[in-house]
Amino acid sequence: MTLGSAVLMGGTFVLIASGVTVASGRDGWMTVLPGFAVGIPYGLMVLSVLLQYPNKNLLQISEILFGKWIGKIIGMIYILITGYYGGLLVAMLGNMYRTIMPLTPLWVFYLGELLLVLYLLGSGIEVFARFSEVVFPVIVIALALNIVLAIPQIEQGELLPILSEGITPLFFGVLKVMPFPMIYILFLAGISSFLPTSKQDLGQLKTGVWRAVFLVGILNMMVVLIQILVFGPRETIRLGNGILVLGKSIEISRTVSGIESLFMGVWLGAMVIKITACSFMVSWGIETVFNLKGLKWNLIVGAVFLGIAFGFTRGPYMLKEVSLVEGYLMFPLTSVWIPILWGVSRWKKGAGNQ
Amino acid sequence: MKRKRRKTVLVLILIACSLFLTGCWGTREVEELEPLIGLGFDLGQKPGTYLITEQFAKPTKGETSTSAEIHRTFSIEASSLREAYEKTSKIISHVPFMGSLKVIVIGEDVAKVGFLDVADFLQRYSEFRRSMYLVLAKGKAQSILNVKMRTGTIVAMYIKDNIETGKTISTYPTVRLGHYLTVLGRKSTAPIMPVIEMVKSGDEGIEYETDGKEEAQELRIQGAGVFRGDQLIDFLNDEETKGYMWLENQVLQRPMSTVGTRKGEPNFTGQVLNSKTRYKVSDKDGTIGLQYQIKASIEIDEVQGLKEQLSETEWVDLMKGAEKSFAKVIQKECELSIQKERRLGLDFLGIGRHIEERNSAYWKTVKDQWEQKIADFPVSVNVEVTIHHSGMSNSSATVN
Repeated sequence: MTLGSAVLMGGTFVLIASGVTVASGRDGWMTVLPGFAVGIPYGLMVLSVLLQYPNKNLLQISEILFGKWIGKIIGMIYILITGYYGGLLVAMLGNMYRTIMPLTPLWVFYLGELLLVLYLLGSGIEVFARFSEVVFPVIVIALALNIVLAIPQIEQGELLPILSEGITPLFFGVLKVMPFPMIYILFLAGISSFLPTSKQDLGQLKTGVWRAVFLVGILNMMVVLIQILVFGPRETIRLGNGILVLGKSIEISRTVSGIESLFMGVWLGAMVIKITACSFMVSWGIETVFNLKGLKWNLIVGAVFLGIAFGFTRGPYMLKEVSLVEGYLMFPLTSVWIPILWGVSRWKKGAGNQ
Repeated sequence: MKRKRRKTVLVLILIACSLFLTGCWGTREVEELEPLIGLGFDLGQKPGTYLITEQFAKPTKGETSTSAEIHRTFSIEASSLREAYEKTSKIISHVPFMGSLKVIVIGEDVAKVGFLDVADFLQRYSEFRRSMYLVLAKGKAQSILNVKMRTGTIVAMYIKDNIETGKTISTYPTVRLGHYLTVLGRKSTAPIMPVIEMVKSGDEGIEYETDGKEEAQELRIQGAGVFRGDQLIDFLNDEETKGYMWLENQVLQRPMSTVGTRKGEPNFTGQVLNSKTRYKVSDKDGTIGLQYQIKASIEIDEVQGLKEQLSETEWVDLMKGAEKSFAKVIQKECELSIQKERRLGLDFLGIGRHIEERNSAYWKTVKDQWEQKIADFPVSVNVEVTIHHSGMSNSSATVN
């Protein structure tokens, strides 16, 4: 559950407030949890397919169900999308840190995070899971502190009126959030070959999906809520890195104020988890489709990430690209591939029973 | 073998991390920095330029002097803050450090034409914080920041300290950059900013030692400026600003006086201990209005004009009279503020937002003509004062 939550969380809290407030105004916070909840049926579908094909990831299962070539094509799309997205996340992290530390060369951020990512990738999924178990609670605590300490900065009445524009804008907000859990579903699709498939374990996994989605959904909802309360809807839309500005606004005392730098290390951990998840996905994809694995390929994945990141040094362009990949590549791939795979597996199971 | 190789890789990674990720990139030693603590904006002489006044505090070594005592102020004509930064950097030997900025003073002339363009840098540049204080200068910001305070205090620090202790009198609003930007986003609400002005010895009954100097050596924050967006439209006087403070529920503690309101009867001064302002949107036969309800608890500090000792019952009656007198003062301040709002047609009290919060359906029908609607929109104020206690004595000292 912790690994799933950590992958699902990633750096979603950095951009989510602006996106949902553009779509749903001051009611944007209400769209976060339903948007994340979309991940639950997809997660359950993945686990259901896994029950039928134990110890196989969904790329291998696709090859079995759709045939070798269609399976390989899906695998290629999977590699390209997760690889491209991983590179963009590296660029995003560099961009975020550069706004606070403008004099630090970009490669320092990239090198720092990629060393960690490659180490985790090379050490395997268990070490990555342990890393997440250590870092994720810190992320949760840091977010909670950010939210609680920003309470004195709340501007009265910014949340009201509730639902003054009706519920239609909420749908647009939910649409904005829906791509976020899809990266988690793609990760689940790849990691499934490592998951246990006994009835008891699957029950625990299902509970884990529910818990991860609700935990991350609620945390992100609180992040959006506090930003709307402190900045007001117009400012929430305008602020690029709202969570960083929120950290800067915190004033505990005269000497302890503007403590955003304390949180920066934690946000780094959150981003590293998501980038590592992407690198694992690419690595599993390469192994399944091309039967290639090992340190050399991990290094190539790292180099590709680095190349993509250096190709997106223009911040606004990069952020637009991240949003496009999430909304127009990752979301369609997951929302089409997983239900069809699940449907075909159910149909084949039914045909087999007859 | 594999285990050994992994350990070697791990050690190499750790060495690389400790070498490259120490956080010292772009480091600036504090001795090399000149912290910027105050910033002022006026209109420049050339069209499209601003006179940007920067007040720096110089960090010093030693025990006798503090950074607050050593400072310097520059005024530079530039078209943007970045240009001013460049010009200042050429003059000073240290690196101007902007993350320490505490106060922004907006000059009256630049406020009248709008200052948002030049202030954009303040909310965009990562070193600045939304918690910086904004004040409006009566006259030029440059003149304010160049005042030689008798205490030797830097003007920017004086303004910051005055604002931070201002809650003990609650007579002017505290406006931080973040709050201003949030209000700006509300559309219907007109932003407001406290006014800072120079006080010469002899002005309005205030006298102080001047060492023979003609110029003002003291400053005062009093009243407020009302803006349409980023353009100054008018000033609120002291009483109107106090009314704003009541209606906006911003009164924490506040000295008050009823002197002049009770002719021939004892007058009172006191201190507001706490107050709460609530509002509700009323609907009487389809006429929507706003009702303010102010509840204040006051301690009595002075009773003037009492000629004889009072019995316990008489004292209780006197205190009831005091409650009414204080309520009348509060009522008057609020009404003056509401009258100003109606006259200006600018909703600095945020009445539109209150209506939007409580009755958004009605708000949608009036929001486009709101500025015209303010003039006759029904607003009522109901004040309830409780005298919590009357100090250390029940009656006043009288001459037999």
